[in-house]
Amino acid sequence: MSVMDEQIARLRAAAEARIGAAADGATLEAARVALLGRRSELTQLLRGVKDLPEAERRVAGDALNRLKTDLAAGLAERERGLALAARPAGAVDLTLPGAPPVPLGSLHPLLVVLEEICDIFHSMGFTREEGPDVELDYYNFTALNFPDDHPARDSQDTFYVSDAVCLRTQTSPAQVRVMERRTPPLSCIVPGRVYRNEATDASHASEFFQIEGFSVDRDVSLADLRATVQQFVDVFFGAGRKIRFRPHYFPFTEPSVEVDMACASCGGSGCAVCGRTGWLEIMGAGMIHPNVFAAAGYAPDAYTGYAFGLGIDRIAMLRWGVDDIRLFYENDLRFLHQFRGAW
Amino acid sequence: MKISLDWLRDFVTWEGDAESLASLLTMAGINVEGREEFTIALPGVVVAHVRETARHPQADKLTLCQVWDGEQTLSVVCGAPNVRADQKVLLARPGAVLPGGAKIKVSRIRGVESQGMICSARELGLGGDEGGIMELPAAAPPGTAADALYGFRDQILDLEITPNRPDLLGHFGVAREIAALTGAMLTAPALWTPPKTSSERLEWSVEIESFADCPRYTAHLARGVKLGPAPDFMRNRLLAVGQRPINNVVDITNYVMLELGQPLHAFDRGKLSGTRLVVRRAGQEREFTALDGQTRHLDDDHLIIADSAGAVALAGIVGGSRSEVDASTQEVLLESAFFDPLVVRRGARKLGLVTDSSYRFEREADWNMVEKAAWRALHLLQQHAGARIVPDRVDRQNPDRESLPPIPLRIAQVNRLLGTEIETTEAVQLLQALDLTVVPLGQARNRKSGSANVMIEVPSFRRDLRAEVDLVEEIARLRGFDRLPTDPAARGARAVAPRALDKVRRRVRAHLSAVGYSEIVTSSFLAREDLERLGLADGDARRNCLSVRNARLEGETLLRTTLLPSLLRILRHNLNADLDCPLRLFQLNRVFWPGARGAVEPSRPQEDQLPAEPLFLQLAVAGRTESTPAGLPAGLWEVKGVVETLGGLIGWSLEARPGDSEPYGALGRQWRLEEAGSGPVGWAGELDGAVLAGFGIEAPVCVAEVDLTSLPAVLPSLAVRPFSRFPAVKRDLSLLVPDGVTFAELAAVIRERGGDCLESLELFDYYRGKGIPAGAAALGIRLKFRSAKGNLKGTTVDKSLALVTEELAARFGAQLRA
Ligand SMILES: [Zn+2]
Repeated sequence: MSVMDEQIARLRAAAEARIGAAADGATLEAARVALLGRRSELTQLLRGVKDLPEAERRVAGDALNRLKTDLAAGLAERERGLALAARPAGAVDLTLPGAPPVPLGSLHPLLVVLEEICDIFHSMGFTREEGPDVELDYYNFTALNFPDDHPARDSQDTFYVSDAVCLRTQTSPAQVRVMERRTPPLSCIVPGRVYRNEATDASHASEFFQIEGFSVDRDVSLADLRATVQQFVDVFFGAGRKIRFRPHYFPFTEPSVEVDMACASCGGSGCAVCGRTGWLEIMGAGMIHPNVFAAAGYAPDAYTGYAFGLGIDRIAMLRWGVDDIRLFYENDLRFLHQFRGAW
Repeated sequence: MKISLDWLRDFVTWEGDAESLASLLTMAGINVEGREEFTIALPGVVVAHVRETARHPQADKLTLCQVWDGEQTLSVVCGAPNVRADQKVLLARPGAVLPGGAKIKVSRIRGVESQGMICSARELGLGGDEGGIMELPAAAPPGTAADALYGFRDQILDLEITPNRPDLLGHFGVAREIAALTGAMLTAPALWTPPKTSSERLEWSVEIESFADCPRYTAHLARGVKLGPAPDFMRNRLLAVGQRPINNVVDITNYVMLELGQPLHAFDRGKLSGTRLVVRRAGQEREFTALDGQTRHLDDDHLIIADSAGAVALAGIVGGSRSEVDASTQEVLLESAFFDPLVVRRGARKLGLVTDSSYRFEREADWNMVEKAAWRALHLLQQHAGARIVPDRVDRQNPDRESLPPIPLRIAQVNRLLGTEIETTEAVQLLQALDLTVVPLGQARNRKSGSANVMIEVPSFRRDLRAEVDLVEEIARLRGFDRLPTDPAARGARAVAPRALDKVRRRVRAHLSAVGYSEIVTSSFLAREDLERLGLADGDARRNCLSVRNARLEGETLLRTTLLPSLLRILRHNLNADLDCPLRLFQLNRVFWPGARGAVEPSRPQEDQLPAEPLFLQLAVAGRTESTPAGLPAGLWEVKGVVETLGGLIGWSLEARPGDSEPYGALGRQWRLEEAGSGPVGWAGELDGAVLAGFGIEAPVCVAEVDLTSLPAVLPSLAVRPFSRFPAVKRDLSLLVPDGVTFAELAAVIRERGGDCLESLELFDYYRGKGIPAGAAALGIRLKFRSAKGNLKGTTVDKSLALVTEELAARFGAQLRA
């Protein structure tokens, strides 16, 4: 046995005795400093290894390091022992998971978005209305200034129940239904399910959700629409998102626009999310066409108004990065439960 | 519609590249759906001279050719029937890659080596196969790269043209729009008319049966036509915008349509009978063979062009095969017309046919382009088909056609709609850029000008502009929507109250999601088999579904009268996904009940054809679960309990009446839910195992559903009651109850006999089985007594309890357990 071996054996015995004797946390901490601290004998010995003859260096280094590891383990074990001894009677493992009284349910993401949008417009004075899913062709098209047999009808593949009855292709028919019943000023929001006789794919569903909004008064202008849309975007998507109006064509509004919002993913420089345009289309809108007012029985020029329509599915996809619209309708709980925090 | 930038540059120049043009058009309301580069590049393809030909030793239909490519003689096997010696052809050398992606390499064809391929036009992406390989002029020098002769590079924009803008369905129209948007100079296509050198007559007459169907029809004659391929520039442009070149005559009509937006039709004059064309409804004619060779069925909605032997074209839709232009054609009768948009649309719809021509006519052609387009095509026929144009022509038009009156424009209305402060002069300048003209008010005074500031006259190609509001849109569009004021004076916001139904909906959703239910959104459609699987009786009203008559997908075409099938489909999906049971789902969705719609005000005549659309709440627990109280199927009590709790929160007074009312419910495990004053409003129960099996579900499923629209949509008017602060005294009753006695009966007696101080009673245990006599169940019921006046004495409570137990024993034979 070399001198070093003897020294290590002595050190180990003394250290183990000291650790075993520590009766509380403070004493144990003091032992830790004395045994493993910078000034401890062990540390000094480790420093001295480099000065040993080359033949002894490795053996001595290994032995000293083994001692260091063992002492650290001994200290930890003693610490656990002390903690266990100090535990009150009937103590429990406080790292066990919490146990809520009932499991968590979830709200459907589409309806979360729908309700939130309705709330925002509600706060701006819009009342909520409803229209039927099964609608007269008259309200879905004719009253909205879609002439019979006009190519504009082609853009919306329609489910027909009979010549006169179809499934609404948009929530816009509520415009005329509401206006027939009420006189301005009126500001309404109409959420609902709409139907298109189309094949489904990652971005098209044959049943989906829209929100129609409209505001009618003596002098409502396109500038009012812009201000309202900007307020909505500020609240829903966050302040400072730029919007732009892009001319478009809808039979029931004139002027008609599509509203684009600056893409948040790329900040406007173009990316896959926005189809490299820097903009995301969020709604169609415009000034209500005089023919629509006429269908509602309003006198010519008596009122002006704007209307807009948002696709809920698309907005929900944008908000949560959902890349396939069919996920919303598959209702797989592994998908739905990711929205437990959404309300 | 695909637009070639090369083609556009014939008419307008603009600053910037394709991308800036795309954004200019986008911001003008013309969506750019795609951008692509079109190239014809033929690396490795050269002009070659076929020096000798010999029959392939192994195959009759193959020819062995010795071909000089300017550098060497190659041995090539060719399968085309038209290959012959001393011919100039295009040769793809080994290493060449053809537009389809095919790589050419040295190969053995039926045992003979072929060092390349002699190509057809189709193989090179240069057009169709005209009987085999492409033949070049004899003067073409061998070795010349095909790229030098046929290479072409163009940029293509794919535009989405909205149905109100048929004027943009041609390159010239798009150029005109660009000029209006940018102020650039517009170069109109050269207007050519044939020199009136001869007095040669057309010798054709045209008769129009109804000017309503066909307000204008022109016919011109080109003689001495030499059929062949169209010139390269034309073929390239057609290819670039996705049109397959056919021959010079057909290509020229297509080219002019894509350039000017006016569809044309070329008849082979030699194949027409008689000397008179009639534009009329199909009448007795029932069959028509179109250019595509298909025979179509006609009815009297179809407008046709007929010669003395019958239909030769479906007006504005497609030509007939009988008068098709082909290799034998020498004279072409060229039609340029204006057909009624509705007539063309209905005719095309009935045939399920949309052609480039019908697409344009149904959006309305440009009256003034009818003749210009004809002259343009005739000029091209003269230049590129060697035709001689007969200066005489037929131009029949409706003498009573009304021109649209000028549109009065009130600048105040412009600013009212836009929220702007635009001056009349600015508005007028913007409109003039679109070729709209200002009619002096003095001249228009006799018309209805009202309070107009100016009267605006619209050119023939912008018939979509019909009213003042259309002009307002053009002003806003050209001025730019970015210049709208962004912060108009705030309108007085009106406080609005939520509707009661919306509050109920909100409460229901919040509560159910908080107690573990997940909301689903399901399809409104179901299939006929679904109704069978539910076992609905023949007379069940829910079998009476509206159905969609033109669904794209077969199967689920009925509008649902019940939410159950959709729920079960979603349950099956999730039960198959190895999730932790039980699954708890709920939905709030509409069902559709034909003929049940109440009166609607104001009512349109057809309103009674619409169904009632009640909003149903449905909740379900599926899969095995720990049962509470012990011994009973937990899901059953859970759905009942949840509905009762919800009812209490919302203010319904729901009563669950036991009774097997539904065929899909398990026997003895159903309730009808009734609301005082509203009658039956829903159902709760366990679903029958066989019904579930029909939907592919093995696990037990319990369901509750209520019709929210039949319940009073009022939230409870809460009024605070005083409550006792004195301590309560609790007593547990442990009863042995004979079968047949219901808990409801027991509870009624306990309440009756328990006295004024009985505050509540609660079932805390229910047990049958070991240790309990057959024909009885053990019930644990906890009673809580409390007085409003003071501390209750135990002895007082025990007296009440004694009364209760006596009565229970006397009335039901229910015994206290030891
Ligand atoms: Zn982006």
